[in-house]
Amino acid sequence: MIFHSLDFVVFFVLVVGLYWLFRQRAQNVLLLVASYVFYGYVHPWFLILIGTSTVIDYCAARGMERWPERRGRFMALSIVSNFGMLGFFKYFNFFVENVGAALTAAGLQPHLPVLRVLLPVGISFYTFQAMSYTIDVYRGELRARRSLLDVAVFISFFPHLVAGPIQRASYLLPQVEGPRRFDVERATTGSFLICWGFVKKLVIADNVGVIANKVFALSDPSFEILWAGVFAFAIQIYADFSAYTDIARGTSRWLGFELTENFDHPYLARSPADFWRRWNISLSSWFRDYVYIPLGGSRASGGRWVRNVLVTFLLSGLWHGASWNYVLWGLYHGLLLVATRAHRILRPAAPVRRPWIAGFQIVGMFALTCFGWLLFRETSLRDIVRDVSLSPFHSTPLDREAGLYLFLLAFLYSIPLWIQSVWVELGRETPAAGPRPVAAWPVMVFKAAACGIAFAAILVLRSRTSLDFIYFQF
Amino acid sequence: MSDPGRSVTVDVRPPTPPSRPLTHRARRAAALQLALAALAVTIAPIGLRALNYVRRTPRLQPTYLPALEGPRERLPFDAAPVGDLAGMNPTYVVIGDSMAGSRIDPRVLTELTHRPIAPLLQPASGPAWWYLALKNWVIPSGIHPRCVFIFFRDTNLTNALFRLDDQFRWAVDRVALDREDEVNAVVAARQSGGLYRVRDFVDRTALATETREWVEPGVSASAARIVEPYRKKRADFLVKLNERFGLDHLRPMDAADIQVAEDRDADFDAYVGRSFLPLMLRDAGRAALPLCFVRVQRRPAGGRPPVQSAALRGYVAKLRAYIESHGAMFRDDYGDPALTLDLYSDGDHLSPSGRRRYTEVFYVRLRPLFP
Repeated sequence: MIFHSLDFVVFFVLVVGLYWLFRQRAQNVLLLVASYVFYGYVHPWFLILIGTSTVIDYCAARGMERWPERRGRFMALSIVSNFGMLGFFKYFNFFVENVGAALTAAGLQPHLPVLRVLLPVGISFYTFQAMSYTIDVYRGELRARRSLLDVAVFISFFPHLVAGPIQRASYLLPQVEGPRRFDVERATTGSFLICWGFVKKLVIADNVGVIANKVFALSDPSFEILWAGVFAFAIQIYADFSAYTDIARGTSRWLGFELTENFDHPYLARSPADFWRRWNISLSSWFRDYVYIPLGGSRASGGRWVRNVLVTFLLSGLWHGASWNYVLWGLYHGLLLVATRAHRILRPAAPVRRPWIAGFQIVGMFALTCFGWLLFRETSLRDIVRDVSLSPFHSTPLDREAGLYLFLLAFLYSIPLWIQSVWVELGRETPAAGPRPVAAWPVMVFKAAACGIAFAAILVLRSRTSLDFIYFQF
Repeated sequence: MSDPGRSVTVDVRPPTPPSRPLTHRARRAAALQLALAALAVTIAPIGLRALNYVRRTPRLQPTYLPALEGPRERLPFDAAPVGDLAGMNPTYVVIGDSMAGSRIDPRVLTELTHRPIAPLLQPASGPAWWYLALKNWVIPSGIHPRCVFIFFRDTNLTNALFRLDDQFRWAVDRVALDREDEVNAVVAARQSGGLYRVRDFVDRTALATETREWVEPGVSASAARIVEPYRKKRADFLVKLNERFGLDHLRPMDAADIQVAEDRDADFDAYVGRSFLPLMLRDAGRAALPLCFVRVQRRPAGGRPPVQSAALRGYVAKLRAYIESHGAMFRDDYGDPALTLDLYSDGDHLSPSGRRRYTEVFYVRLRPLFP
């Protein structure tokens, strides 16, 4: 089931309506049933995978606690089963294609099998979430849960099941296990998040996505047209992915849950490290905790640190998809981090106080990020080489005008996104302790009007071409 | 993997959920805020409606596909083919998209059969167009051809939404009457069950389509105005821009129209009841028109026919049984040894020489239909 469908609206209203009639235990049963209906709505066989993964991880964690001396074996069982499923469905064909290409290059004519099966939606997300549970139990940071129901709800919780944010067991499981009370303020803020999420998806992402798709379908883009398309894609992927997160967080709040933020206005980042503190936070912190730090993290010596960063980012790239362009994208971001640190070591700089320097840094980082999105969006290495070699000096006047037009069109659709980012960035303040403040009338009316305008914008400006959430494919 | 018990830096852990206390007053304010937001969302469509009255947007024609869209300007139904068919009185009719167009050469087939052939071809069309061409052109023309061939690929025939997006709708306009209730019902069932009525109601209440008719061009025009301030040059620029993104500028894979069937579309039982196939068979049966569905073979790979998943094989077997049980014929090109890679140009399209060769093979394979 997808968020931007009427089916989901009906489903969600029914679930919320029933949910608050029950006590905690029955709520969890309802959540599990609802999550499995949500996930298996189109392809019921997906449920076999998530069910298997849940049972194995539950048993593995229980085994680790019951037989601590054999916890390594249980951990191995969890790793092999989770990554086995992920590898089979996501990477089998990639592996076969590359083996085939290598054998062909060696003069052989291999007849290798090709897997023709649909990639289960969200498998990368729930696999990583399930893995975080068993790894934390293995490390002794979390106790294994006795209730299979609670673990199953933790892994399959429908608001964030197919595109994150990936939640840690230490964060979400206590919420699954604890009593929940309807909090009208949470429901209100949740509604705002849902509303904003739909605007981002239907009005911004889908409209600029059409521009990006048209540009990346061209066989002979000019320099200007290509980079207008890359800009459109940069907007699309952020609006699309963060929309999913917002809707997930908003719907969770209606159910009494609080999910972690996944984006913190990444296009206002001033450096690669800053970008990764703001982009897909749940995934980057997963890689940091379970790959980067176990490898030695930043405490390792120079050469080892470089290795740690590159390995982490290569794996992060590969997580996104079974294709070399994703690997290249990961490597690119790893190299950016290495280069930034090398620069800081060679030329230590004082903290920036002048706003115009910060502005330059933001624009510079956005340009670097856009180059990364080119690697991400182009699936063929040959096309990447062609794109990189394009020169602005060979463009016709029409190409220049077309590039400017497409850029302006993408920018116009993304204005609300930029305003929101700058608004939040300028108004950052540390959360205060004590009772939550009561909103004043003008603020309440302003927020309500914003909701009405957002709904009108969805009705009038929603794209005629409805696109899937980009991160579904991962 | 690190040892158990090893301390991991605390900052990597996500924060715990906020648990700031909520006073009674704050709770009341939040409830009021929620009610205000709900009210704003409810009156937003009415506000849009009022805005349209102020702007005096001209009333648009109601659509024949309310399951998909609101009122809009449409191309008129093209009645000319009805008269043309009646005048020509063809012995064979070929309906399809570029798969049929790049395979059947009417001139060659006429030479072989010595009979007139009427090709009703629309590039980038789908089953909605094919059905409407049959229903609104072929049947009203009163002709009685020996066979009507309908070409399709893999699961297209039971995918009611295939090529029914906005970008293809202008072609459907030409074959659709003012009301197409059965077509709409099929699309609605395939699209979103009965829920499309909710969206349709909201759109009609808000006059959303009418508003889109001036808001969307307004957004595009504001970008175009910055690029080209002069109106005449701007119109010229937009024409050239469209040409710049034309078919001859697309990457081979996009231009070649390779749309690989996904296994999720290969669930015959789930989709046949929500497709145009039953309507095609019913209407052709009533008009005593013999139908022959031709499944074309996709581009061969590695010197062999393309790989078919088990789901697709199962789908085709069920499709054949269904069609034949309803008295129509089914021809599957898949695996025909004569259809080799050298016949193909881009994607699943055949080259001009391949087209001639295919027509000859088609004539031989279906010889009993060409007495």
